[in-house]
Amino acid sequence: MNTIPIIIDEKKLEVDPGKTILEVCRENEIEILTMCHLKGVLDIGACRLCLVEIEGINKLLSACTTKVAANMIIRTNTDRIKKYQRITTELFFAERNHVCAVCVANGKCELQDLGYKVGLDHIRYPHLFPQCEVDTSHPWYVMDHNRCIMCTRCVRVCNEVEGAHNWDVMNRGHQVRVISDFNSPWGESVTCTSCGKCLHACPTGAIWPKAIVQGQLQKNPGMINELVEKRKMKL
Amino acid sequence: MSKKKLATVWLGGCSGCHMSLLDIDERILDVAKLADIVKSPIVDGKEMPEVDIALVEGSITSDEHYREILHIRKKAKTLIAFGDCAVMTNVTGMRNYFPLKEVFDAAYVNAVSNDAEGQVPGHPSLLKLNDKVVPLQEVVNVDFVIPGCPPNADTIFYVLFEFLNDRLPDLGKAKKLKYG
Repeated sequence: MNTIPIIIDEKKLEVDPGKTILEVCRENEIEILTMCHLKGVLDIGACRLCLVEIEGINKLLSACTTKVAANMIIRTNTDRIKKYQRITTELFFAERNHVCAVCVANGKCELQDLGYKVGLDHIRYPHLFPQCEVDTSHPWYVMDHNRCIMCTRCVRVCNEVEGAHNWDVMNRGHQVRVISDFNSPWGESVTCTSCGKCLHACPTGAIWPKAIVQGQLQKNPGMINELVEKRKMKL
Repeated sequence: MSKKKLATVWLGGCSGCHMSLLDIDERILDVAKLADIVKSPIVDGKEMPEVDIALVEGSITSDEHYREILHIRKKAKTLIAFGDCAVMTNVTGMRNYFPLKEVFDAAYVNAVSNDAEGQVPGHPSLLKLNDKVVPLQEVVNVDFVIPGCPPNADTIFYVLFEFLNDRLPDLGKAKKLKYG
Protein backbone atom coordinates (compact mmCIF):
# COMPACT_ATOMS: atom_id res chain seq x y z
CA MET A 1 0.00 0.00 0.00
CA ASN A 2 1.15 3.54 -0.67
CA THR A 3 2.08 5.49 2.42
CA ILE A 4 1.85 9.24 2.92
CA PRO A 5 4.31 11.52 4.70
CA ILE A 6 3.17 13.48 7.76
CA ILE A 7 4.93 15.27 10.60
CA ILE A 8 3.79 14.89 14.20
CA ASP A 9 5.62 16.93 16.87
CA GLU A 10 8.59 17.50 14.51
CA LYS A 11 8.80 13.74 13.89
CA LYS A 12 8.66 12.65 10.25
CA LEU A 13 6.44 9.63 9.69
CA GLU A 14 5.29 7.53 6.73
CA VAL A 15 1.78 6.31 7.48
CA ASP A 16 -1.08 4.46 5.80
CA PRO A 17 -3.80 6.76 4.47
CA GLY A 18 -7.26 6.17 5.92
CA LYS A 19 -6.02 6.05 9.48
CA THR A 20 -7.00 8.63 12.10
CA ILE A 21 -4.44 10.88 13.73
CA LEU A 22 -5.13 9.10 17.01
CA GLU A 23 -4.39 5.67 15.53
CA VAL A 24 -1.13 6.92 14.05
CA CYS A 25 -0.10 8.53 17.34
CA ARG A 26 -0.85 5.38 19.35
CA GLU A 27 1.16 3.26 16.88
CA ASN A 28 4.12 5.63 17.19
CA GLU A 29 3.94 6.01 20.97
CA ILE A 30 2.95 9.67 20.85
CA GLU A 31 0.75 10.27 23.86
CA ILE A 32 -2.77 11.57 23.21
CA LEU A 33 -5.18 11.89 26.12
CA THR A 34 -8.64 10.41 25.54
CA MET A 35 -11.77 9.62 27.52
CA CYS A 36 -14.51 8.86 24.98
CA HIS A 37 -12.27 6.75 22.73
CA LEU A 38 -12.70 3.01 23.24
CA LYS A 39 -11.00 0.58 20.91
CA GLY A 40 -13.66 -1.56 19.27
CA VAL A 41 -16.42 1.05 18.95
CA LEU A 42 -16.82 4.06 16.66
CA ASP A 43 -15.11 7.34 17.58
CA ILE A 44 -17.33 10.39 18.00
CA GLY A 45 -15.00 13.12 19.29
CA ALA A 46 -17.14 13.83 22.35
CA CYS A 47 -14.64 14.43 25.13
CA ARG A 48 -12.44 16.98 23.31
CA LEU A 49 -9.31 15.78 25.05
CA CYS A 50 -7.56 14.52 21.93
CA LEU A 51 -7.58 17.95 20.25
CA VAL A 52 -4.48 18.58 18.11
CA GLU A 53 -3.10 21.54 16.21
CA ILE A 54 -2.82 21.12 12.46
CA GLU A 55 -0.82 23.70 10.53
CA GLY A 56 -3.05 25.75 8.22
CA ILE A 57 -6.24 25.06 10.19
CA ASN A 58 -7.32 27.62 12.79
CA LYS A 59 -9.53 25.27 14.78
CA LEU A 60 -8.21 22.51 16.98
CA LEU A 61 -9.42 19.18 15.60
CA SER A 62 -10.06 15.93 17.48
CA ALA A 63 -7.42 13.33 16.66
CA CYS A 64 -9.87 10.45 16.96
CA THR A 65 -12.18 11.66 14.19
CA THR A 66 -9.67 13.35 11.86
CA LYS A 67 -7.98 11.22 9.22
CA VAL A 68 -4.36 11.82 8.26
CA ALA A 69 -3.70 13.55 4.94
CA ALA A 70 -0.46 13.89 3.00
CA ASN A 71 2.00 16.49 4.35
CA MET A 72 -0.07 17.27 7.44
CA ILE A 73 1.96 19.01 10.13
CA ILE A 74 0.43 18.06 13.49
CA ARG A 75 1.30 19.19 17.00
CA THR A 76 0.01 17.35 20.05
CA ASN A 77 1.72 18.96 23.02
CA THR A 78 1.72 22.73 22.64
CA ASP A 79 0.89 25.04 25.55
CA ARG A 80 -2.45 25.83 23.90
CA ILE A 81 -3.45 22.16 23.82
CA LYS A 82 -2.26 21.58 27.39
CA LYS A 83 -4.35 24.57 28.50
CA TYR A 84 -7.49 23.15 26.91
CA GLN A 85 -6.85 19.66 28.29
CA ARG A 86 -6.70 21.10 31.79
CA ILE A 87 -9.90 23.13 31.26
CA THR A 88 -11.75 20.12 29.86
CA THR A 89 -10.71 17.97 32.81
CA GLU A 90 -11.77 20.62 35.30
CA LEU A 91 -15.17 20.91 33.63
CA PHE A 92 -15.67 17.13 33.92
CA PHE A 93 -15.19 17.47 37.67
CA ALA A 94 -17.29 20.63 38.02
CA GLU A 95 -20.26 19.39 35.99
CA ARG A 96 -21.30 16.37 38.08
CA ASN A 97 -20.58 15.14 41.59
CA HIS A 98 -17.25 13.35 41.52
CA VAL A 99 -16.62 12.48 45.14
CA CYS A 100 -13.60 10.22 44.75
CA ALA A 101 -13.42 9.40 48.46
CA VAL A 102 -16.71 7.50 48.41
CA CYS A 103 -16.65 6.26 44.80
CA VAL A 104 -16.49 2.59 43.86
CA ALA A 105 -13.96 3.43 41.16
CA ASN A 106 -11.54 5.25 43.48
CA GLY A 107 -8.00 4.35 42.43
CA LYS A 108 -9.14 2.59 39.25
CA CYS A 109 -10.75 5.53 37.51
CA GLU A 110 -9.77 6.91 34.13
CA LEU A 111 -10.95 10.38 35.18
CA GLN A 112 -8.64 10.37 38.22
CA ASP A 113 -5.75 9.20 36.05
CA LEU A 114 -6.53 11.96 33.57
CA GLY A 115 -6.45 14.54 36.37
CA TYR A 116 -3.03 13.34 37.48
CA LYS A 117 -1.75 13.46 33.89
CA VAL A 118 -2.83 17.05 33.27
CA GLY A 119 -1.59 18.10 36.72
CA LEU A 120 -5.02 19.04 38.04
CA ASP A 121 -4.78 19.93 41.74
CA HIS A 122 -7.92 22.05 42.09
CA ILE A 123 -10.92 23.13 40.02
CA ARG A 124 -11.11 26.78 39.05
CA TYR A 125 -14.80 26.70 38.15
CA PRO A 126 -17.73 26.63 40.58
CA HIS A 127 -19.18 23.15 40.95
CA LEU A 128 -22.73 22.76 39.64
CA PHE A 129 -23.73 20.20 42.32
CA PRO A 130 -26.64 18.84 40.26
CA GLN A 131 -29.14 16.51 41.92
CA CYS A 132 -28.43 13.27 40.06
CA GLU A 133 -30.24 9.96 40.20
CA VAL A 134 -28.68 6.68 41.21
CA ASP A 135 -30.59 3.96 39.37
CA THR A 136 -30.41 0.74 41.39
CA SER A 137 -33.42 -0.92 39.77
CA HIS A 138 -31.35 -3.44 37.81
CA PRO A 139 -30.90 -6.69 39.79
CA TRP A 140 -27.09 -6.75 39.38
CA TYR A 141 -25.88 -3.34 38.24
CA VAL A 142 -26.05 0.32 39.28
CA MET A 143 -26.12 3.43 37.09
CA ASP A 144 -24.87 6.43 39.09
CA HIS A 145 -25.40 9.63 37.11
CA ASN A 146 -23.30 11.58 39.64
CA ARG A 147 -20.15 10.05 38.17
CA CYS A 148 -21.10 10.09 34.46
CA ILE A 149 -18.97 12.25 32.16
CA MET A 150 -21.09 11.64 29.04
CA CYS A 151 -18.36 9.88 27.07
CA THR A 152 -21.17 7.60 25.80
CA ARG A 153 -18.88 4.58 25.65
CA CYS A 154 -21.71 2.55 27.25
CA VAL A 155 -24.18 3.78 24.64
CA ARG A 156 -21.90 2.79 21.77
CA VAL A 157 -20.84 -0.55 23.15
CA CYS A 158 -24.47 -1.50 23.85
CA ASN A 159 -25.51 -0.51 20.35
CA GLU A 160 -22.54 -1.61 18.26
CA VAL A 161 -21.16 -4.64 20.07
CA GLU A 162 -24.06 -6.13 22.01
CA GLY A 163 -26.66 -4.88 19.51
CA ALA A 164 -29.20 -4.22 22.25
CA HIS A 165 -29.29 -0.39 22.22
CA ASN A 166 -30.60 -0.18 25.75
CA TRP A 167 -28.65 3.02 26.39
CA ASP A 168 -29.17 6.32 24.66
CA VAL A 169 -28.86 10.04 25.41
CA MET A 170 -31.50 12.66 26.22
CA ASN A 171 -31.45 16.46 26.67
CA ARG A 172 -28.64 18.84 25.81
CA GLY A 173 -26.00 20.90 27.58
CA HIS A 174 -25.43 20.22 31.25
CA GLN A 175 -28.84 18.54 31.51
CA VAL A 176 -27.78 15.76 29.17
CA ARG A 177 -28.29 12.27 30.63
CA VAL A 178 -27.69 8.70 29.57
CA ILE A 179 -31.04 6.91 29.60
CA SER A 180 -32.21 3.32 29.56
CA ASP A 181 -34.84 2.66 26.86
CA PHE A 182 -37.16 5.71 26.77
CA ASN A 183 -35.96 7.06 30.13
CA SER A 184 -37.35 4.30 32.28
CA PRO A 185 -35.66 2.52 35.20
CA TRP A 186 -32.85 0.23 34.03
CA GLY A 187 -34.44 -2.74 35.81
CA GLU A 188 -37.56 -2.40 33.67
CA SER A 189 -35.65 -2.35 30.39
CA VAL A 190 -37.00 -4.60 27.65
CA THR A 191 -33.83 -4.27 25.56
CA CYS A 192 -31.06 -4.77 28.14
CA THR A 193 -29.55 -8.25 27.97
CA SER A 194 -27.65 -7.74 31.27
CA CYS A 195 -24.44 -8.61 29.39
CA GLY A 196 -22.38 -6.15 31.46
CA LYS A 197 -20.32 -4.73 28.59
CA CYS A 198 -21.32 -1.17 29.55
CA LEU A 199 -19.74 -1.75 32.98
CA HIS A 200 -16.40 -2.50 31.40
CA ALA A 201 -16.69 0.30 28.87
CA CYS A 202 -17.42 2.94 31.54
CA PRO A 203 -14.25 4.89 32.41
CA THR A 204 -15.47 6.12 35.80
CA GLY A 205 -17.67 4.85 38.61
CA ALA A 206 -20.93 5.57 36.77
CA ILE A 207 -21.85 1.96 35.97
CA TRP A 208 -20.81 -0.81 38.32
CA PRO A 209 -21.89 -4.18 39.71
CA LYS A 210 -23.76 -4.22 43.03
CA ALA A 211 -21.50 -6.92 44.40
CA ILE A 212 -18.58 -4.55 45.07
CA VAL A 213 -17.74 -1.88 47.63
CA GLN A 214 -15.81 1.41 47.61
CA GLY A 215 -12.56 1.28 45.69
CA GLN A 216 -12.95 -2.41 44.76
CA LEU A 217 -14.09 -1.96 41.17
CA GLN A 218 -12.35 -4.06 38.51
CA LYS A 219 -12.87 -3.04 34.91
CA ASN A 220 -11.56 -4.46 31.69
CA PRO A 221 -12.29 -2.05 28.84
CA GLY A 222 -9.80 -3.89 26.60
CA MET A 223 -12.24 -6.80 26.56
CA ILE A 224 -14.53 -4.87 24.20
CA ASN A 225 -12.01 -4.79 21.38
CA GLU A 226 -11.03 -8.42 22.01
CA LEU A 227 -14.67 -9.38 21.48
CA VAL A 228 -14.92 -7.33 18.32
CA GLU A 229 -11.76 -8.94 16.91
CA LYS A 230 -12.81 -12.46 17.85
CA ARG A 231 -16.13 -12.05 16.09
CA LYS A 232 -14.31 -11.23 12.86
CA MET A 233 -12.54 -14.63 12.92
CA LYS A 234 -13.84 -17.32 10.62
CA LEU A 235 -13.84 -20.69 12.34
CA MET B 1 17.35 31.59 59.54
CA SER B 2 14.72 32.28 62.16
CA LYS B 3 12.13 29.67 62.93
CA LYS B 4 8.89 29.85 60.99
CA LYS B 5 5.44 29.76 62.54
CA LEU B 6 3.03 27.05 61.48
CA ALA B 7 -0.69 26.69 62.13
CA THR B 8 -3.10 23.91 61.23
CA VAL B 9 -6.84 24.54 61.33
CA TRP B 10 -9.83 22.21 61.23
CA LEU B 11 -12.93 23.63 59.53
CA GLY B 12 -15.67 21.57 57.81
CA GLY B 13 -13.88 18.25 57.56
CA CYS B 14 -13.55 14.98 59.45
CA SER B 15 -10.04 15.59 60.88
CA GLY B 16 -8.76 12.74 58.72
CA CYS B 17 -6.27 15.15 57.14
CA HIS B 18 -4.91 15.95 60.60
CA MET B 19 -4.63 12.22 61.28
CA SER B 20 -2.61 11.94 58.09
CA LEU B 21 -0.47 14.88 59.24
CA LEU B 22 0.33 12.92 62.41
CA ASP B 23 1.33 10.02 60.15
CA ILE B 24 4.48 11.90 59.16
CA ASP B 25 5.68 10.24 62.39
CA GLU B 26 9.26 11.06 63.42
CA ARG B 27 9.62 13.50 60.56
CA ILE B 28 7.66 15.92 62.74
CA LEU B 29 11.06 16.49 64.41
CA ASP B 30 12.40 17.79 61.08
CA VAL B 31 9.42 20.11 60.92
CA ALA B 32 9.96 21.19 64.54
CA LYS B 33 13.56 22.16 63.77
CA LEU B 34 12.33 24.65 61.18
CA ALA B 35 9.01 25.77 62.63
CA ASP B 36 6.98 26.19 65.78
CA ILE B 37 3.43 24.83 65.62
CA VAL B 38 1.61 27.75 67.24
CA LYS B 39 -1.98 26.75 66.59
CA SER B 40 -3.53 23.39 65.86
CA PRO B 41 -6.29 21.08 67.12
CA ILE B 42 -3.44 19.07 68.70
CA VAL B 43 -1.76 21.95 70.59
CA ASP B 44 -3.12 24.31 73.19
CA GLY B 45 -3.75 27.72 71.72
CA LYS B 46 -6.72 29.95 71.38
CA GLU B 47 -6.64 32.93 69.03
CA MET B 48 -4.75 32.40 65.77
CA PRO B 49 -1.56 34.53 65.79
CA GLU B 50 0.42 35.77 62.79
CA VAL B 51 1.87 32.72 61.03
CA ASP B 52 4.02 31.93 58.00
CA ILE B 53 2.09 28.85 56.94
CA ALA B 54 -1.48 27.81 57.70
CA LEU B 55 -2.74 24.37 56.70
CA VAL B 56 -6.53 24.57 56.56
CA GLU B 57 -8.53 21.35 56.51
CA GLY B 58 -12.20 21.21 55.51
CA SER B 59 -14.59 23.36 53.54
CA ILE B 60 -16.63 26.42 54.49
CA THR B 61 -19.98 25.15 55.75
CA SER B 62 -21.20 27.81 58.23
CA ASP B 63 -21.05 31.45 59.31
CA GLU B 64 -18.39 30.52 61.86
CA HIS B 65 -16.11 28.93 59.26
CA TYR B 66 -16.62 31.97 57.07
CA ARG B 67 -15.42 34.36 59.79
CA GLU B 68 -12.60 32.03 60.67
CA ILE B 69 -11.20 31.70 57.15
CA LEU B 70 -11.23 35.49 56.67
CA HIS B 71 -9.28 35.79 59.93
CA ILE B 72 -6.82 33.09 58.85
CA ARG B 73 -6.29 34.83 55.53
CA LYS B 74 -5.33 38.03 57.35
CA LYS B 75 -2.92 36.24 59.69
CA ALA B 76 -1.26 33.73 57.36
CA LYS B 77 1.42 34.56 54.82
CA THR B 78 0.85 31.26 53.02
CA LEU B 79 -2.57 29.64 53.16
CA ILE B 80 -2.65 26.00 52.09
CA ALA B 81 -5.95 24.24 51.34
CA PHE B 82 -5.38 20.90 53.03
CA GLY B 83 -7.27 17.88 51.68
CA ASP B 84 -10.13 17.25 49.25
CA CYS B 85 -12.79 19.04 51.37
CA ALA B 86 -10.79 22.27 51.44
CA VAL B 87 -9.93 21.98 47.75
CA MET B 88 -13.18 20.72 46.19
CA THR B 89 -15.70 20.18 49.04
CA ASN B 90 -15.64 16.37 48.66
CA VAL B 91 -17.94 14.51 51.10
CA THR B 92 -18.80 17.71 53.00
CA GLY B 93 -20.25 19.08 49.77
CA MET B 94 -22.56 16.13 49.21
CA ARG B 95 -25.34 17.99 51.01
CA ASN B 96 -25.20 20.62 48.27
CA TYR B 97 -27.40 18.43 46.06
CA PHE B 98 -30.34 19.04 48.40
CA PRO B 99 -32.07 22.10 49.92
CA LEU B 100 -30.74 22.80 53.44
CA LYS B 101 -34.13 22.14 55.04
CA GLU B 102 -34.23 18.62 53.59
CA VAL B 103 -30.75 17.99 54.97
CA PHE B 104 -31.75 19.13 58.48
CA ASP B 105 -34.97 17.12 58.37
CA ALA B 106 -33.11 14.02 57.25
CA ALA B 107 -30.82 14.26 60.28
CA TYR B 108 -33.07 15.57 63.05
CA VAL B 109 -36.70 14.87 62.13
CA ASN B 110 -37.04 11.92 59.77
CA ALA B 111 -34.08 9.80 60.85
CA VAL B 112 -35.23 6.32 61.90
CA SER B 113 -33.41 6.64 65.21
CA ASN B 114 -35.39 9.80 66.17
CA ASP B 115 -38.42 9.76 68.42
CA ALA B 116 -41.67 11.46 67.38
CA GLU B 117 -40.62 14.88 68.73
CA GLY B 118 -37.47 15.18 66.69
CA GLN B 119 -36.78 18.82 65.87
CA VAL B 120 -34.02 20.86 64.30
CA PRO B 121 -31.84 22.46 67.01
CA GLY B 122 -31.94 26.24 66.78
CA HIS B 123 -30.14 27.58 69.84
CA PRO B 124 -28.64 31.04 69.14
CA SER B 125 -25.21 29.93 70.38
CA LEU B 126 -24.99 27.28 67.65
CA LEU B 127 -23.26 28.04 64.36
CA LYS B 128 -25.53 28.59 61.37
CA LEU B 129 -25.04 26.33 58.37
CA ASN B 130 -24.73 28.04 55.01
CA ASP B 131 -27.06 26.95 52.22
CA LYS B 132 -24.15 25.60 50.20
CA VAL B 133 -20.78 24.21 51.19
CA VAL B 134 -17.94 25.89 49.28
CA PRO B 135 -14.23 25.18 48.99
CA LEU B 136 -11.78 27.66 50.55
CA GLN B 137 -10.90 29.21 47.20
CA GLU B 138 -14.44 30.55 46.74
CA VAL B 139 -14.04 32.73 49.85
CA VAL B 140 -10.36 33.65 50.04
CA ASN B 141 -7.23 33.48 47.92
CA VAL B 142 -5.50 30.17 48.44
CA ASP B 143 -1.74 29.97 47.89
CA PHE B 144 -1.33 26.23 47.54
CA VAL B 145 -3.52 23.12 47.53
CA ILE B 146 -2.92 19.55 48.71
CA PRO B 147 -5.73 17.35 47.36
CA GLY B 148 -6.42 13.86 48.71
CA CYS B 149 -8.86 12.24 51.10
CA PRO B 150 -6.73 12.22 53.09
CA PRO B 151 -3.48 13.40 51.46
CA ASN B 152 -0.65 10.92 52.03
CA ALA B 153 1.66 11.68 54.93
CA ASP B 154 4.57 11.72 52.45
CA THR B 155 2.81 14.37 50.39
CA ILE B 156 2.08 16.51 53.44
CA PHE B 157 5.68 16.30 54.62
CA TYR B 158 6.98 17.07 51.14
CA VAL B 159 4.85 20.22 50.88
CA LEU B 160 5.66 21.39 54.41
CA PHE B 161 9.37 20.74 54.02
CA GLU B 162 9.55 22.61 50.72
CA PHE B 163 7.72 25.64 52.11
CA LEU B 164 9.78 25.64 55.30
CA ASN B 165 12.90 25.73 53.13
CA ASP B 166 11.49 28.57 51.03
CA ARG B 167 10.92 26.44 47.96
CA LEU B 168 7.68 26.05 46.02
CA PRO B 169 6.50 22.44 45.85
CA ASP B 170 5.04 21.00 42.64
CA LEU B 171 2.69 18.07 43.26
CA GLY B 172 2.29 17.29 39.56
CA LYS B 173 6.03 17.03 38.92
CA ALA B 174 6.59 15.18 42.21
CA LYS B 175 3.90 12.68 41.12
CA LYS B 176 2.06 13.21 44.38
CA LEU B 177 -1.38 14.17 43.08
CA LYS B 178 -4.22 12.15 44.57
CA TYR B 179 -7.96 12.61 44.93
CA GLY B 180 -10.02 10.36 47.13
